Amino acid sequence: MNTEQINAKNVSTKHISVKRYMPDSSAEPYWQQYELPVDDSTSLLDALNHIKEQLDSTLSYRWSCRMAICGSCGVMVNGIPKLGCKTFLRDYEGEIRIEPLSHFPVQRDLVVDMAIFLEHLAAVKPYLIDDNPVKPYDPQAPETYQQSPEQLARYKQFANCINCGLCYSACPQFGLNPEFLGPAALTLAHRYNLDSRDHGKKQRMAELNRHEGVWSCTFVGFCSKVCPKHVDPAAAVNQGKVEAAKHTLIALFKG
Amino acid sequence: MDKLSTQRLPPLKRNWWLKHRFFKLYMLREATVLPLVFFTLCLLAGMVALLQGADSWQGWIVFMGSPIVLLLNLLALAASLFHAATFFVLFPRVMPIRIAGHSLPDQAIVAGQWAGVVAVALLFFWLFGRA
Amino acid sequence: MMDKLAMNKPSMGKNSTQHKQAFDEPLWWGLFSAGGVCFAVFLPAVILFIAVLLPLGLLPAEALSYERASTLLFSVPGFLFVGAVVCLPLFHAAHRLRHGMFDISVGNDALNKKLMYGGAALLSIVALGLVVAGMLG
Repeated sequence: MNTEQINAKNVSTKHISVKRYMPDSSAEPYWQQYELPVDDSTSLLDALNHIKEQLDSTLSYRWSCRMAICGSCGVMVNGIPKLGCKTFLRDYEGEIRIEPLSHFPVQRDLVVDMAIFLEHLAAVKPYLIDDNPVKPYDPQAPETYQQSPEQLARYKQFANCINCGLCYSACPQFGLNPEFLGPAALTLAHRYNLDSRDHGKKQRMAELNRHEGVWSCTFVGFCSKVCPKHVDPAAAVNQGKVEAAKHTLIALFKG
Repeated sequence: MDKLSTQRLPPLKRNWWLKHRFFKLYMLREATVLPLVFFTLCLLAGMVALLQGADSWQGWIVFMGSPIVLLLNLLALAASLFHAATFFVLFPRVMPIRIAGHSLPDQAIVAGQWAGVVAVALLFFWLFGRA
Repeated sequence: MMDKLAMNKPSMGKNSTQHKQAFDEPLWWGLFSAGGVCFAVFLPAVILFIAVLLPLGLLPAEALSYERASTLLFSVPGFLFVGAVVCLPLFHAAHRLRHGMFDISVGNDALNKKLMYGGAALLSIVALGLVVAGMLG
């Protein structure tokens, strides 16, 4: 890159503090400050890559796509969960503190263990379940699944989740009780429950209608604020409460 | 990896909500029920007084006029309005209303609920506001 | 050792406590929601007229005289009024207090649940009982 181009884009020097944790050399996490050149187009992920390549090759963090679709580069920026690739340093004056995502065990530096998140996702069976008793699966059947735009519109917003886990770091109820299934898993359950092709609602309801299912949510709403894809998980979880209430009423009357 | 999946962090400390403005507003929203409970207890006392006779009813009105009670009930009034402002915006997200395949705009649902507050206030004015 | 740990994973262990259905929660949430609507729609006017304007003497003298207040409260509409302005908001408050106590790690949830919803139910019965007593008296 030539210098004139960089100058045209407001080049300046910024300080970034990163919470380091290297279990093989030090038992305690510590803060490390880096000074680096940034311009208007520098994302936080660009900055981390600059640190890794130019300043300190020991820094560990996750990333892949650079365009808010893989969901791997989530970190806390000044205490708020953000995607590194979607966060631009031009928006920050003064101190920038980078920490690993909250409410997850830290493995090393900015890398967290997301196993519990994946467990919760798997628990709600987030895939089309086609054991329709009315119309059993027939490999000879000529027609494929058909879905109208109206049927798609019912769940489309909730299908935009990229599993980045920012909502789990934003959710105090998950922080207070890690067994709470949490925003993304409950949203994904709701997304499949709303899908006209799916017949797995009954199976998912057994997970949702638990204390650790929808009923641990108190509609704090911060999950929806931090969601980089505007999925509005808080709305999905609370629509899930309405569904769980209906499910309970039906169960009561059927005995 | 497999071994790590049993790892659980200790739960948040009880001051977690002090660390962010958004969480403080959440706690304020949850705390609106405290002055509500105070007003409800006042109202219950008023019902007992009304059952006891005209003198206790007058006594209750005097009690309701004492500065501390009045101040706490003004707080309850403010709390009810703050609760309304936070609760009304949640409604269209929890129960999106669809009419003939089209979803009703959120603002319309919120405005409808505020119209309800005004309607109730007008009803009270009609009942008690005129000589 | 690894196997033993894996067996202890909550999602693996299909024991009954993990998958216990919360059949009572829809009831508490339903009462909480209904109470929340009442708190938001009715309470501003109720508090303004009964707890602010009345004690300040800003209402006409006869508006809530002993006779008129008794006639209004000790009636079927009065019974419904108490249900919407006292009972449902009490369950709303109970639900928020219960979850608020969990939020700040006070007590344990199983006990808080009994205390809060039990308290709301008790006060509701007292409130409705007072109206019935007034109607009979």
